[in-house]
Amino acid sequence: MSDLPPNAVELRAVSKVYGASTAVREISMEIPRGAFVTILGPSGCGKSTLLRMISGFVTPSSGDVLIDGVSVAGATPYERDTAMVFQDYALFPHRTVAQNLAFGLRMRKVDKAEIARRVEAMLELVNLKGFGERRVSQISGGQAQRVALGRALIVRPAVLLLDEPLGALDLKLRKQMQAELKTIHRELGLTFVAVTHDQEEALTLSDRIAVMNSGALEQFDTPENLYRRPATRFVADFVGNANLFDAQLGGDGRVEATGLPLTLFLNPAQRGNRPAGAPVALVVRPETIAVGATAPESHDGRIEARIEEIMFSGAVQQIVGRLPDGRRITAHQSAAVPAPERGASAVFSWPSQSVWLVDA
Amino acid sequence: MAMPGAERRRISLATLLPTAGLLPLVLWQIVFFVVPVVLMVGLSFWRSKSYRLIPDFTFDNYAAIFARPAIWRALLLSVETAAFVTVACAVLAYPVAYFIAKKAGRWRGLLLVAVIAPFWVSIVMRVAAWRLLLGERGVINQTVMALGLADEPLSFLLYSPVSTAIGLVYAYLPLYVLPLYAAISNIHDSWIDAAMDLNASPARTFFEVILPLSAPGLVVGAVFCFVFGLGEFVTPALLGGGKQLMFSQVIQDEFQRRLDWPSGAAMSVVLLVLVFVALAVSMKWIRRASGEAGS
Amino acid sequence: MNRWSFGWALPTYSVLLYAFLYLPIVVIVLFAFDAKAIPGLPLDGFTTGWFSASLGDARLIGSLLTSIRLALLAAVLSTALAMPAAMVLAWRPVRMKSLLLCLVLGPVVLPQLVLGLGLVVLFRTAPDLIGQPAIVLAHTTMTSSYATLMLYSRFLGFRRSYIEAAMNLGANEFVTFREVVLPLIAPALIAVLLLAFTDAFGEFVVAWFLAGFTETLPIAIWTSLRQVISPKIYALSAVVILATLAVSVSAQIWILGQSRRESEP
Repeated sequence: MSDLPPNAVELRAVSKVYGASTAVREISMEIPRGAFVTILGPSGCGKSTLLRMISGFVTPSSGDVLIDGVSVAGATPYERDTAMVFQDYALFPHRTVAQNLAFGLRMRKVDKAEIARRVEAMLELVNLKGFGERRVSQISGGQAQRVALGRALIVRPAVLLLDEPLGALDLKLRKQMQAELKTIHRELGLTFVAVTHDQEEALTLSDRIAVMNSGALEQFDTPENLYRRPATRFVADFVGNANLFDAQLGGDGRVEATGLPLTLFLNPAQRGNRPAGAPVALVVRPETIAVGATAPESHDGRIEARIEEIMFSGAVQQIVGRLPDGRRITAHQSAAVPAPERGASAVFSWPSQSVWLVDA
Repeated sequence: MAMPGAERRRISLATLLPTAGLLPLVLWQIVFFVVPVVLMVGLSFWRSKSYRLIPDFTFDNYAAIFARPAIWRALLLSVETAAFVTVACAVLAYPVAYFIAKKAGRWRGLLLVAVIAPFWVSIVMRVAAWRLLLGERGVINQTVMALGLADEPLSFLLYSPVSTAIGLVYAYLPLYVLPLYAAISNIHDSWIDAAMDLNASPARTFFEVILPLSAPGLVVGAVFCFVFGLGEFVTPALLGGGKQLMFSQVIQDEFQRRLDWPSGAAMSVVLLVLVFVALAVSMKWIRRASGEAGS
Repeated sequence: MNRWSFGWALPTYSVLLYAFLYLPIVVIVLFAFDAKAIPGLPLDGFTTGWFSASLGDARLIGSLLTSIRLALLAAVLSTALAMPAAMVLAWRPVRMKSLLLCLVLGPVVLPQLVLGLGLVVLFRTAPDLIGQPAIVLAHTTMTSSYATLMLYSRFLGFRRSYIEAAMNLGANEFVTFREVVLPLIAPALIAVLLLAFTDAFGEFVVAWFLAGFTETLPIAIWTSLRQVISPKIYALSAVVILATLAVSVSAQIWILGQSRRESEP
């Protein structure tokens, strides 16, 4: 294994153009061996196209795809060492569970005894012992999901591709499968590349997340960086909840919000190397905001708003305030803290260290 | 993996396979469908002299169709009969299609198949059965007389345009149920419920919701019924008698008894034009209707 | 369930319509068992004699066997032509697709009379083919349209992800076809074969024009309809009709069941 390059998959400026529309725009990405990478984005952002370029179902209009350091341009799907878990599972309905699992091994001309042994082991790994002789029409959605996963895993591919793998499951089952998927990934040490539109799933599962928007790669980073240090306005808005205020950068760390009585002083790390006068947007996460009659001493970002709506959701209450310029500001606050009256005026405040800047 | 030959092989497979898949059927249809039609059109401009074909480019054969009253009367009778059969089939098929689509529950598959099944029985056998039913001493007349509803057999039942119409309605009824069923089962029950919920009476619900939404099925069924009815030969030949000929019988007669192929070909072309017009009109309607639904 | 209902009227009407559809078939079967030599009411008495009489009629049985043989050939030929074409039309981006569909489906709307006569003109250039070969060629033209249409919709409904899954697991185009596509469309293929056979078996007009001295069963019945009909024709027809119904009904139920299984998650 040591002679293999560090990246399982490498995308070099791949694009896909369909007539007048561009599905994928000049994306470059390095996916380290053994990583769990998720491609996240709204529907129609080109994330599935990107996955299908790795698997070989879509040929890039330009750019190159490398698997294990070797270009696979022109290689058919069956010549590539990838295996995919399909969104609709695509379990062969005329085959049993065991026959579905064995399919990839049969194609690779593995001998019969070895196939039987590995199928048995895989049934155990995906918690389906004793289900081998079932027809795929006789198993539940969650079980079908495991068979689909097992069928792809059994060939020990260089990359396992997962297309919205948990999309068809209900919430409770999805949570359970997320945990199982994570365990299997850790135990097998294979490279996983998943596609999802569910940001929570992406944050839970992945080592690294690639956020895509209308065909372009916005940011490829760890979940924490994505959340705390979003690279673009889109990422700030798409990953988690955010209050975004257009602002202008002044000298010595001053930031003035456009049209609002709000001025903050940021440190150089927060400012980046943006010049004075650059148009920016302030990213203020709702959970960093405190709401009350007065602001705590440490909260130097303060703005007054009229309380418009208070919504309880278990441990957290969501407080929506109306700013002087008519826009809304949202705060998440522990339900244990008493909330102000609806219609009353309150101060929304936060420490300036918790703020992040993105280009407007 | 990225063998230099891989790209070339993939391109050749990707372009070769579709062509190889389509070519046999396309060639077959060109030789045995397009060429015969083209031959008929070409032949319609020829002349025939004492049973011999003479190449020419004349419109005489077309002029002759409208000069001979017997022929355009047959054409008129065919159009009238096809139109009547179409309307009759629509009226008869609609309730059954509605019943199968909305009321039959788990029997709908079986009931649908049972409607279509008689269509697969050879037309000659079906028509032979109608002769047994409609004849002067046939089942219907015997029953009518036994019940005392008439003193002598109803002679108009067989060998008349009436019997042809009955035979054609019987033949094409299954064909009309099919598209109607498809259209009606596409109407969600919730739309009907919504109309009723908004206080529309059953009649208004039918005319304002169900009927407009099943219009595509009505049109498709009508086209097939009309087009098939227009060109049908066996039913009028066996049930219609020899007095009032249909257009298809005249064409067959021209070809096989009078052996005037160019004249028969011209009549065939007239028939084809009618079929084409019916198809084009309905296609235009369907395209417009589906365009509206899409926007 | 909606509240739109005719009560008993709709079911009653439907029963009557089904009676209308099956009345001619019942009548034929009834007269096949009637002892009278010239069919008519009232029924005379029960006999199975006409069945053995029709079996003993060499000409009639000969025409039946001819029909079976020719229809079998046409069914196999048209399915073989239709399957690859339907697959390409449904799965590949094809240029001038609507023109191709018109070409392939044209024989459905073309009046059979015109197609038959057009073929008569065509076969003047190859008079040796008149008779059995011409009938098979003509029936293949007609049934391949239906076959293409049915298989086309089957392939359209075929989940592409099955194919992608197979290729993704290492199966090339041919192995994918053999291991995944063929087993899954086999029922539809058999149903199409059966329906194409039924259609070709019963077709009369075109066969009649091209028959020469060949006699298919519909032609034999047509000829006999010009004279006084012997009940043995009805006896044979009854058998053929029941067989036709059995074949077409089972073929269509097969298609229904198959599409239902496919649509299950």
